[in-house]
Amino acid sequence: MTMRLVSAELVESRQILPGQWIQSFHAPELATGSRAGQFVHVRTGDYSGLVLRRPFSINTADLVTGIVTLHFRTVGRGTEWLTRAREGDRLDMLGPLGRPFEVDPRSRHLLLIAGGLGMAGIRMLADEAVHDDRQVVVLFGAQSASHVYPSSLLPDEVEYVVATDDGSLGHHGFVTELVTEYEAWADQAFACGPHPMLKRLAALAAGRRDRLGVAKLGRKRGGGKVDPLGSTAARRKAFLQVSMEQTMGCAVGACLGCTVIGVDGPLRVCREGPVFAAEEIAWESIA
Amino acid sequence: MKARKKVVTAADVRLAKATGQSKPAKAKRTPTVRTIKSAIVPVDRSARSFSGRPRVETGSAAVADLGAPLAARPTLVEREALDRIDLSIELAPQRGLRLPNPIMVASGTFGYGVEYGEVVDVQRLGAICCKGTTLRPRAGNPPPRVTETPGGMLNSIGLQNPGVDAVIEKYGPVWQGWKVPVIVNVAGESIEDYVEVARRLDGVPGVAGIELNISCPNVGKGGLQFAIDRDAARAVTAAVRRATDLPLLVKLSPNVADVRPIAKAIEEAGADAITAINTLSGLAVSADRTRAFLGNTYGGLSGPAIKPVALRIVYEVAQVVSIPIVGIGGVTSLADVLDFMACGAVAVQVGTAIFADPELPVRLGDELRAECLRRGLSSCAPLVGTALPKRTGAPSAKGAEYRP
Ligand SMILES: Cc1cc2nc3c(=O)[nH]c(=O)nc-3n(C[C@H](O)[C@H](O)[C@H](O)COP(=O)(O)OP(=O)(O)OC[C@H]3O[C@@H](n4cnc5c(N)ncnc54)[C@H](O)[C@@H]3O)c2cc1C
Ligand SMILES: Cc1cc2nc3c(=O)[nH]c(=O)nc-3n(C[C@H](O)[C@H](O)[C@H](O)COP(=O)(O)O)c2cc1C
Ligand code: FES
Repeated sequence: MTMRLVSAELVESRQILPGQWIQSFHAPELATGSRAGQFVHVRTGDYSGLVLRRPFSINTADLVTGIVTLHFRTVGRGTEWLTRAREGDRLDMLGPLGRPFEVDPRSRHLLLIAGGLGMAGIRMLADEAVHDDRQVVVLFGAQSASHVYPSSLLPDEVEYVVATDDGSLGHHGFVTELVTEYEAWADQAFACGPHPMLKRLAALAAGRRDRLGVAKLGRKRGGGKVDPLGSTAARRKAFLQVSMEQTMGCAVGACLGCTVIGVDGPLRVCREGPVFAAEEIAWESIA
Repeated sequence: MKARKKVVTAADVRLAKATGQSKPAKAKRTPTVRTIKSAIVPVDRSARSFSGRPRVETGSAAVADLGAPLAARPTLVEREALDRIDLSIELAPQRGLRLPNPIMVASGTFGYGVEYGEVVDVQRLGAICCKGTTLRPRAGNPPPRVTETPGGMLNSIGLQNPGVDAVIEKYGPVWQGWKVPVIVNVAGESIEDYVEVARRLDGVPGVAGIELNISCPNVGKGGLQFAIDRDAARAVTAAVRRATDLPLLVKLSPNVADVRPIAKAIEEAGADAITAINTLSGLAVSADRTRAFLGNTYGGLSGPAIKPVALRIVYEVAQVVSIPIVGIGGVTSLADVLDFMACGAVAVQVGTAIFADPELPVRLGDELRAECLRRGLSSCAPLVGTALPKRTGAPSAKGAEYRP
């Protein structure tokens, strides 16, 4: 669906974890047209002197009720302003924006990897995958048990595996350490979280074939045709897709403010992304 | 395959309590044969627990009402009166650059006019200034490139663009089909660069004019910006003037001690109009305070925060030149447009405000029309220069005394 300006009515706002909120909005135009991985650019109140909108992943979208949800953490003035919105308030959202995750139609097993608020980036993909009858494992990393995304907010069909930095719940360590256990099972992996986490995952994905002993014996399909980097077809074939963040101005591709460095030059997170195949990113440029 | 586990967290228990469930969701194993639940389930419960039906009011009309324009729904008689008001302005009296209305969009904030798609009716804009265009493609500055600041933002895009030939090839045909004038913003590192870009744009259908961004380092002069050096500003303007017959606008930088000699030099060198201002040089610090936030260290400040500076510069320039002036800097409302006009601008450009409110420039055109009707004016010419000191003979030196 093409983007538009939508007046979204807040129907419910609740704190799900310390400092983390899920807000539900009635916005049928957004709910019907959006796909997992896309985002909205939300206008904050002018009175507070904030001149830029704030980007948020579309956490879930329900065609039937027309409800979309955002899941965010309060980190500054814009997100704090959002928490003060009341039921019935209308927020001005621009969306849906960006390119979605591309799942290969042949993929049966999807590995979703989220760090912290990265859950909001992949949450909707879990819904889409379950709907399409794929098996889903969600690997989730957080600082400690008190920051772990509630499993009750995930579809029952997915497997949910948690890692915490302090070992207070699940695996003691980084979520990236769990990946090798699932890489043989997974047909494709999709990740959202802090950039160092994505960088580690990209390195793991690059070494996957060797570890699994899969020989690169030409392509199964396509007769050797190589899809251009960044094309939907190339992304569909990529093992790892990552959803990235960058500070934004317009969020529609006009200002070139939101770039990350790709192997072929700058890429706009709002237009070519926020989802990229791992191969598109110049990871050495990411701290 | 590995055995899988589903974790029940402390937050689950809390949530279950909060939502009145006696027990948290049970830990489950994925069944080998599964029955699939109804598709794409949102955060369940939430929609139902909301009491009262959500009012459905869709479409951008609802959004537009948030910032209700003065004459949102004029009566038929008003409509006719509004239509009689002539908002058009002539930016290049000698060469012809007529804008249907004085609300333009500023370079770098509106891409090439196509990015906002159906969200903005570009045909209703006064003019579009496209992203800064250079002779050769430029990859721009390292990220991050933008950040918000109090009442404004910093940007350090670094003139990323595909180069003039690609711009002409890709967007020329699109612009040709538009009735809104498109002005190509031109940047360079040497006078030769500027001249060559202007030459290539000359005669291209769909290009209505050129705006010179002279806030660029002049490699020939050790990186000193053209915009802060009167002689360089004069030289680049004159050279481009000789190279093209396109209407020529030159954009001033505020990062100078006194902008007036520069503006005069630009007028003398043959510019058709002056646009002012570009961004102010600024800096933001990273969250951990170990470095500058922007990848390029410095950035350009824009937005409401710079409006007083922009007004001051328009006010000063208006008193020393007689070519048209376009005011730029922090325009977010009709009041801002009227302020710039009062200080001598015949038109304004809207930049940063578009990011929050993409419909603003089109709406400002409507509001300006309504304002003229309200004041009984048939054009907005009488609004221009009303705040300037009366011109008696030699240009006034007023304004200089307020500079620290
Ligand atoms: C495509 C995309 C999707 C996102 N999805 C989510 C999400 O689902 N949930 C969530 O909690 N956060 C998400 N973020 C991050 C979110 O945009 C920021 O947390 C938010 O903008 C912070 O605003 P603030 O005013 O509270 O913070 P401040 O730090 O006061 O913001 C200052 C400025 O920096 C920008 N900014 C700050 N942090 C970020 C960031 N991480 N990414 C981009 N811009 C930033 C703000 O937009 C603002 O312009 C997403 C970012 C992007 C780019
Ligand atoms: C993201 C961004 C990119 C810009 N790029 C250019 C540019 O390429 N050339 C130029 O002359 N001005 C550029 N500008 C400056 C604007 O055209 C304008 O002069 C300035 O932002 C002040 O207006 P505002 O306060 O309404 O934004 C840019 C501004 C922003 C915010
Ligand atoms: S935010 Fe403007 S190009 Fe991406």
